Amino acid sequence: MLEPTDQGYLYSFSAMASPCEVHLDGVSREEAARLGGIAEAEARRIERKYSRYREDSVVSAINRSDGWPIQLDDETAALIDHAAQCHTLSNGRFDITSGVLRRIWKLDGSDRVPDQRQVEAILPLIGWTKVLWRRPALTLRKGMEVDFGGLGKEYAVDAALHLIARESDAPALVNFGGDLRVTGPRLDGRRWLVALESADGDDDCEGFLEISEGAITTSGDARRFLLKDGVRYSHILDPRVGWPVRDPPRSVTVAAPTCMEAGLLSTLAMLYGRGAERFLQREGVKAWVVR
Amino acid sequence: MQLKRQKAGALRAALGLLTANLLVATAHAQAPETVPISHSSTTDSDEDYESGSDLNSGRTRIDSAVLFYQEAGGRVRAIEPVISATLNGSGGEVLNLRVTSDTLTGATPNGATPSRLTQTFVTPASTGASGRNASSNSESGSTIRQYKVAPHVLPVDDSFQDQRWAADIAYSAPWGEQARVSVGGGFSTEHDYTSYVGNVGLSHDFNQHNTTLAAGLNLEYDQSKPFGGTPTPFTSMSGTAKGGDKTKSVVGAVFGVTQVINRGWLAQLNYSIGQTNGYQNDPYRIISVINPTTGDPSRYLYEGRPDRRLRQSIYLDNKIALGPTTTDFSARAYHDSWGIDSITLEASERLQLGQQFFIEPGLRYYSQTAADFFHDYLLSSQALPTFASSDSRLDRFHAMTESIKLGFKSSPTTEWYVALQDYRQSGSSHRAGAPGALATENLFGGAKATSVLFGVSFAFW
Repeated sequence: MLEPTDQGYLYSFSAMASPCEVHLDGVSREEAARLGGIAEAEARRIERKYSRYREDSVVSAINRSDGWPIQLDDETAALIDHAAQCHTLSNGRFDITSGVLRRIWKLDGSDRVPDQRQVEAILPLIGWTKVLWRRPALTLRKGMEVDFGGLGKEYAVDAALHLIARESDAPALVNFGGDLRVTGPRLDGRRWLVALESADGDDDCEGFLEISEGAITTSGDARRFLLKDGVRYSHILDPRVGWPVRDPPRSVTVAAPTCMEAGLLSTLAMLYGRGAERFLQREGVKAWVVR
Repeated sequence: MQLKRQKAGALRAALGLLTANLLVATAHAQAPETVPISHSSTTDSDEDYESGSDLNSGRTRIDSAVLFYQEAGGRVRAIEPVISATLNGSGGEVLNLRVTSDTLTGATPNGATPSRLTQTFVTPASTGASGRNASSNSESGSTIRQYKVAPHVLPVDDSFQDQRWAADIAYSAPWGEQARVSVGGGFSTEHDYTSYVGNVGLSHDFNQHNTTLAAGLNLEYDQSKPFGGTPTPFTSMSGTAKGGDKTKSVVGAVFGVTQVINRGWLAQLNYSIGQTNGYQNDPYRIISVINPTTGDPSRYLYEGRPDRRLRQSIYLDNKIALGPTTTDFSARAYHDSWGIDSITLEASERLQLGQQFFIEPGLRYYSQTAADFFHDYLLSSQALPTFASSDSRLDRFHAMTESIKLGFKSSPTTEWYVALQDYRQSGSSHRAGAPGALATENLFGGAKATSVLFGVSFAFW
């Protein structure tokens, strides 16, 4: 869909289970459609390649490998390298093998909290250190899975923006489901105004942010939790222990040069639980934390 | 835990570099230069703790260790290599095989008291063994051996030498959703002793797997085939051939409950009971018969113990995981029909140092009362008791074990460890009312021992 804005056009579509927008300033309608189409194609390509819900995705192929080595293409290998390094950087908090935890943690607002034995039973299937990665061959243990849920959308934003910037000098903002990045200031030199989504998921807006460079991502979804015996279990699962992080913020919004950086920092901040603010401060990250 | 505080923003800086690298690489579809990340640049926080050991996962795990054990004063020395393999089936079945070998050499107390006099002991010769001051000669087809012990020295037989082999097998498998059955068996053999054991067990989970009840039955059958035959209790020590082989059997049961108290605390309570019937003497052990006036030995008699023993114990164990440390505290109370009551208190603390190292100091205290028939010696003026033994393990004593274990993970599935242990028994060395010259002799035969264990455990899948 293409609609005019005060300084250009907004190209919108739906992908990766999210509303996606591409704002383009100072371009013709045709140019907006072309550049928007490039971004959309990139988003769909990445979704098709890395969605764990699609049978024909690379991720599904990896997860079906059943203990056998699988050869990965250069792009996937680069993403795996990146994920491995993020795992190291985060002392194991960021782990693309942690998705298996969803089998026991069904975060639907119910009181179905798994017990320690269920957690212990599943922990052998979690942990990047259990994976054998000799680029380009990846070998998972039987039963293990990888999931680019913590990277994919952010990667798509950065990649789409990169393609647009290669084609055109037009000021652009790419926003895939709240993860966004801009090429620079708007056409009139002012900053982009971005609505900050409410962590509670109602349509209330927490406020606005102004951005003239880099990227912004938000982590946190207060609708996803379990409640048992008065204890609220968050949806932020620590892959190292298999249990939810205690007292994570309701949401963390982070500004960084790229969407992937911002996404990892906001995810990590959530994983630090009550230490989120201290982590962000120590890292010198520009962030908004909602408790 | 990082010991060095990282520079502020190090993670963010490294991440920026990584991301730039990735985006350039994928946009141009080239292989990126990987940015090496050292652990010194990783983040740190007070909430940092490590996940459970990866050693328990994987299809097959091999544990291999060797124990060096040395008692003070040139007494028993042992070298015990052990290798074990654990195979995990996809359905939760676990098969464990273990082979152990012990080589024991050195000297063991023969049961006699020290004396102001040089003492001479005569015993059947064990093949190929000869102690200091020993002389062998053939008399009417049987070989006897004689050894002397200097004054004021605890008499030991330094010909002690044995090689033991043991093999164990254990299998357990889930039975339905909540239960698990196990069955095991074992065999061990040495020159003069053979043992067979078997056990079956059943455990059942309740309360969403938070509570486990378990019960087990174990059986043991042992054959004693002493060098030179089995002596009749309270006959004089001699080098002549004696009676035939002896056996004993053990029937035991254990009942336990394991409870998950909370996510970091596991408690276990066990009750066990066992009845032993049959030959329970040490066929080489003697007891001195002392002249009540001089305190000098007049004869040495073979010991005699009851042939029935009922043992019961209660054991409580707590495992508490707090951040990077794991605390284990256990207590055991024991009672048997021989009159021995004992308590054991044990605590250990495992501290994780970074991802690769751990250190585990431990302390164990043990205290027991003497068996009803324990005597350091008998008096020649008194009638012989029904049962008597001077085995220091049946005496009243306390023991303290201090240990430290150091571990190193060289890979996520490989752990190397070394454990040092220092064990010392203490008991009363001088008996009130010991006659004559015996009053000044140290009668306590307890041991001090040091052991070192080297091991490696690795998994593959």
